[in-house]
Amino acid sequence: MEIIRQYLPFLIPLIVIELGLTVAALIHIFTHKTYRKGNRVLWVVLSFVQIIGPVLYFVIGRSDE
Amino acid sequence: MTDVLTIQNLTKSFGKETVIDGLTFSVPEGSIFGFIGKNGAGKTTTMKMTLGLLAADSGEITVCGERVSFGQTATNRHIGYLLDVPEFYGYMRPKEYLWLCGEITGLENAKIKSRSEELLKLVGLAGINKKIGSFSRGMKQRLGIAQALLNEPKLLICDEPTSALDPVGRKEILEILRQVKDKTTVIFSTHIISDVERICDRIAVLDKGRLALSGTIAELKAKHKSGGFTATFDAGTDKERVLGVLAENHLQPIGVEETEQTIENLFMEVIL
Amino acid sequence: MRAYLAFTKKEFIENLRTYKLLILLAVFLLFGVMSPLVAKLVPEIMQNLGIGGIKITLPEATAMDSWVQFFKNVGQIGLLVLAVVFAGIMSNEFSRGTLVNVLTKGLKRHTVIFSKLTAAALIWTMSYLLCLAVTYGYTVYFWDMGELQHVFLAFFSMWLFGLLLVVLLILGGTLFKTFIGSLLLAGGAVVAMTLLNISPKIQKYNPVTLCGDNTALLTGVKNASDFVPAVIICIALVVVLTTVSVVVFDRKQI
Repeated sequence: MEIIRQYLPFLIPLIVIELGLTVAALIHIFTHKTYRKGNRVLWVVLSFVQIIGPVLYFVIGRSDE
Repeated sequence: MTDVLTIQNLTKSFGKETVIDGLTFSVPEGSIFGFIGKNGAGKTTTMKMTLGLLAADSGEITVCGERVSFGQTATNRHIGYLLDVPEFYGYMRPKEYLWLCGEITGLENAKIKSRSEELLKLVGLAGINKKIGSFSRGMKQRLGIAQALLNEPKLLICDEPTSALDPVGRKEILEILRQVKDKTTVIFSTHIISDVERICDRIAVLDKGRLALSGTIAELKAKHKSGGFTATFDAGTDKERVLGVLAENHLQPIGVEETEQTIENLFMEVIL
Repeated sequence: MRAYLAFTKKEFIENLRTYKLLILLAVFLLFGVMSPLVAKLVPEIMQNLGIGGIKITLPEATAMDSWVQFFKNVGQIGLLVLAVVFAGIMSNEFSRGTLVNVLTKGLKRHTVIFSKLTAAALIWTMSYLLCLAVTYGYTVYFWDMGELQHVFLAFFSMWLFGLLLVVLLILGGTLFKTFIGSLLLAGGAVVAMTLLNISPKIQKYNPVTLCGDNTALLTGVKNASDFVPAVIICIALVVVLTTVSVVVFDRKQI
């Protein structure tokens, strides 16, 4: 318990950022039908892979349409 | 009548292939100029050289009396350009895009505002505020026209503006082009001859990088009077009887053709 | 000037709406938190782990450990993310054909390059400063900062190297018109500089020093004189490569 309290100032922002990225990616995935690369299932799964998944989605998978 | 565009002895090759081979023609002010040729005849290449996007090997292009030089875009202030498939920044909205274009060409803010509203209305995009990325091809084409006309160009160059569209979209685009011809000279490249007949008053036919034919439609029709004529009878007429009557009078037709309903007409009837 | 501002504004809208800004800020914010966290965790984990029954006792973490992590994270994965995000900065315009409209509207070609450089440089600066501020906050909160040497030079060097990377990406995109071309040119340049670094004589002139030895500067192991030549060369490269991009782009047939 003590240990967790000690690391709370790190954990809270970390969780907020990672969750934020995942949620942003998921919202975008579900509000768009087409992707430049890959398909919906792939991107939904990948967006839970922390940091790299959402980043890859926005750089490679996201489509303008 | 002054010439808005003159092209003198223009030559361009890509590698060993000569695409434009000593091309010379001019476009007088106030015309709708049809630039006709097969795919790969060199239409797009000629237009891109006029815009300074491609370098010419030799020859001279002048726009409103100013010489075009590759890479420099000073002459482009006289020109509006519409591509066959115009591409925009998909994340922008139509008004934002026109605003960007207006600022780039150096229009005053008030002018950009009034022109964009006017043009979006002209092309039928007024009140549409979604991102360009979700536009259909026809809508992009219409935005392309609005964008091309923003700075009130003396010359509007349209590269196959109708070929990527369905018949309804084509008709709309041609209608818009007809409306702007009072203010702007229009060059309009295409391989669809019927589009040319609908709106152009002058044409040039390009073949293998050379000019095969040019002049006003009236001139060309007068000069190349056809040797024959076509008579059309309605569906109830007996073909054999007509041919029989002709034969009795020693009139021998070169060919007999059954007239079919054109699919384009049918399509229009069903859709509209 | 108006066209430059308009196109730069367009670049910012693009980076905002295509989520590039969000990604960079989030990733660098994350590194800002991670660096002090890892510095603090490593000795404790080692202590509790006890490999093969041998108790390993590491000295308590210090502020310097936090900065070591900061430079490691930003200098490696941070720059990689920066490269991946901005590798399409030129190639996207070529591959989608979006430049034709704006160039035929009379936009000068060099304005395209300067606008893109401005936007990318500003976004990199924002991300870097955010990361730096967060790590700084945690570090003063947990540790005694102690005496740091050459603070400005150490942090400025890393920023400058990031800027060089952006310029390389723009040059690569202009030359090859592709995402991969942009990435390969920038990556190739970094690899080449790293290889050159094997020779100790070159090190102080080599821009790659600017993203590698920053902690040595902070602790005072290295002096400003070991960094300044590389800084000067890096600035010169930024200017020269930007000029080359402009010249190459002016001659590109679109």
